[in-house]
Amino acid sequence: MNLLLVGGSYKTIPIELREKLAFDGPKLPAALNELTARFGCEAVILSTCNRVELYLARPGSPSGLNADLITEFVAQFHQTGYDAIRQNLYSQTNADAVQHLFRVASSLDSMIVGEGQIAGQVKKAYEQSREAGATGSVMHGLFQQALAVAKRVKTQTGISRGHVSVSSVAVDYVRQVYDHFDDKTVLVIGAGKMGALTLRHLRDLHPRRILVTNRSPEKAQAVAKECSGTPIPWERLDDALVEADIVLSTTGAPQPIMTRQRFEGILARRSRGTMVILDIAVPRDFDPAIHDGDRACLFNVDDLKRIQEQTIHERQQHIRPAENIVEQEVKRYINDIRRRRHGPIIAQLTQEAEAQRKAIVADLFAKLTGKLSKEDCDYIEGAFKLMQNRFLHGPISALADDAPEPSRHTLLEAMMKMFRLS
Amino acid sequence: MNSFAGKITVLCFVASYAVTFALELWRLKRPGPAARFVALGFAAAGLFAHATYLIMKSQALPLGTPTGSLLLIALILAVFYFFEAIHHFRIAWAIFVLPIVLILIALAVITEDATAMPRADSGWKYFWGVAHGTLLILAAVGVSVGFIASVMYLVQLGRLRAKVAPNQGLTLFNLERLELMNRRAILWSFPFLTAGLLAGFALQVYDGFLLQDWLNPRIAAVVGLWVVFAILLYLRYRVHVRGRALAIWTMIAFAIFLIALVSPPHVFAPGAQP
Repeated sequence: MNLLLVGGSYKTIPIELREKLAFDGPKLPAALNELTARFGCEAVILSTCNRVELYLARPGSPSGLNADLITEFVAQFHQTGYDAIRQNLYSQTNADAVQHLFRVASSLDSMIVGEGQIAGQVKKAYEQSREAGATGSVMHGLFQQALAVAKRVKTQTGISRGHVSVSSVAVDYVRQVYDHFDDKTVLVIGAGKMGALTLRHLRDLHPRRILVTNRSPEKAQAVAKECSGTPIPWERLDDALVEADIVLSTTGAPQPIMTRQRFEGILARRSRGTMVILDIAVPRDFDPAIHDGDRACLFNVDDLKRIQEQTIHERQQHIRPAENIVEQEVKRYINDIRRRRHGPIIAQLTQEAEAQRKAIVADLFAKLTGKLSKEDCDYIEGAFKLMQNRFLHGPISALADDAPEPSRHTLLEAMMKMFRLS
Repeated sequence: MNSFAGKITVLCFVASYAVTFALELWRLKRPGPAARFVALGFAAAGLFAHATYLIMKSQALPLGTPTGSLLLIALILAVFYFFEAIHHFRIAWAIFVLPIVLILIALAVITEDATAMPRADSGWKYFWGVAHGTLLILAAVGVSVGFIASVMYLVQLGRLRAKVAPNQGLTLFNLERLELMNRRAILWSFPFLTAGLLAGFALQVYDGFLLQDWLNPRIAAVVGLWVVFAILLYLRYRVHVRGRALAIWTMIAFAIFLIALVSPPHVFAPGAQP
């Protein structure tokens, strides 16, 4: 397999250097072409905002790839000093490199464990390399397996369960209440920056309409323009709340803008279902007593952050089972590679021994014609077969138990020489 | 085949449903495809045994008896669970549906020695009898589904009130969908319930009105159920009551429905019983 990984991640490379080492845009196909031409290898480059990793393989070659040479290539390609990057990059070979890739694809090596983007990024990296003609049998098998492992980890553990950003958690709550959004009204109160991302998520739900209100009509106009909403005057806030299904509040008001008493009046005028209020403002815009979990579900920043922390904590508990899956899959993958490599040699060895045994037995029977009964012949043939099996058992077992390092050819080569196999 | 089917007892399908329920509970702790498929396998085995049992006992257990109708409704709900567990496998259906299935079967066993029913013969009385029984069974399915949706609604509401993380604990439909499910169940049941009552009324016309007929617990409960449903529809479409109140009313309807089911059946004059 001769697999080599050279790279670095957010754990080893500071962000300024990561930015310099990124293989983005046209740099990626250029680097892939140069790598394959210069080193005669298969290559996949995984370049994301959190990591830059080069996976290289030279199957069938007796000599492995040199990590220092690859580091030198990276330095040259990005016109950076070799010494400046050498200490920030790690390198791994064969089984260790396989394990690293499987962990990366399963988001066990991510900054936020369980994040869902990395598997897609690994897939994209492989596809880009394939399009550039830089992949072969090793990379194909390796990356397909890495994606399968990522899927298994995701489905068989709870490592990806839940969301870990405040805005996503907020939308998760909205989804706990509403099924469809094409008849829903979103009301945005204020123009705080904290709510921008949540508003973007809410917009992605395609609500029927978005109403925007602000003490400053200009600001309301600006936010409404940004989210294709309708600005409404601040004085009509109560009327807007009567019509709203989802409220996103992000004002900078020093006091709550909505007391329970005032809100009771609004609820009395409503004929719609549960209202979901996402109060992302600090200090809070809505009196917490408004939350009754029936007519109004109010979630403020503290609630959303608590869920965020809970989810991260929950994910930690799934790391061990996920690591076990990765370990199992690495073993399975390496065994598979080994079987594929040793299989033809074992078959050839068995065939060779079989042919020789048959020739010797035939020769023996020819010399003893007429002196042996049928039972004697069967007995002798069985004895020779048994001897062949016992004789081959040792070498075949040794090959099968060969160290899981796919690059170790020593025993295989020795056997090929000893038994004169091609 | 007949001898095999004849050996099927209530215990066979109760055990299958119980194992399914246990596996689904296990799946809440450790989600994985293996437990899901094994659970579905047990549920399928339970359904087969349940259906076979009802077919084999159809002579001894007519639908008009509490046992017959309870077992049939339990079977329909088990089919509902099986269908939903395949189509919406993330939702914790088993936790809500299977206990009801098991309770209905338990009630069926308890009420097994209820009034023996005179067998039906042909004619208009027979027709109205069959129509009455079938329509009430169809209404009962709606009442049960509405109850399941209501319980799920209240649990989901409780989760939202307590601000439980969306990814924690039971996976349920959102409030809007559960309310829709409840509403559809009510809309399904009401016409069947009304038509079933009218069919029963037609039977009574045949027999001549008697005051004691209306005092029969089963008839009184079914009429009560109809009244609750009428209130439910009024609240939903005229007063626009939503959510929790609607769920609670549906649960009251289910309680009345259970009373109707376990009550000894009203015996119409010979020839009318479904």
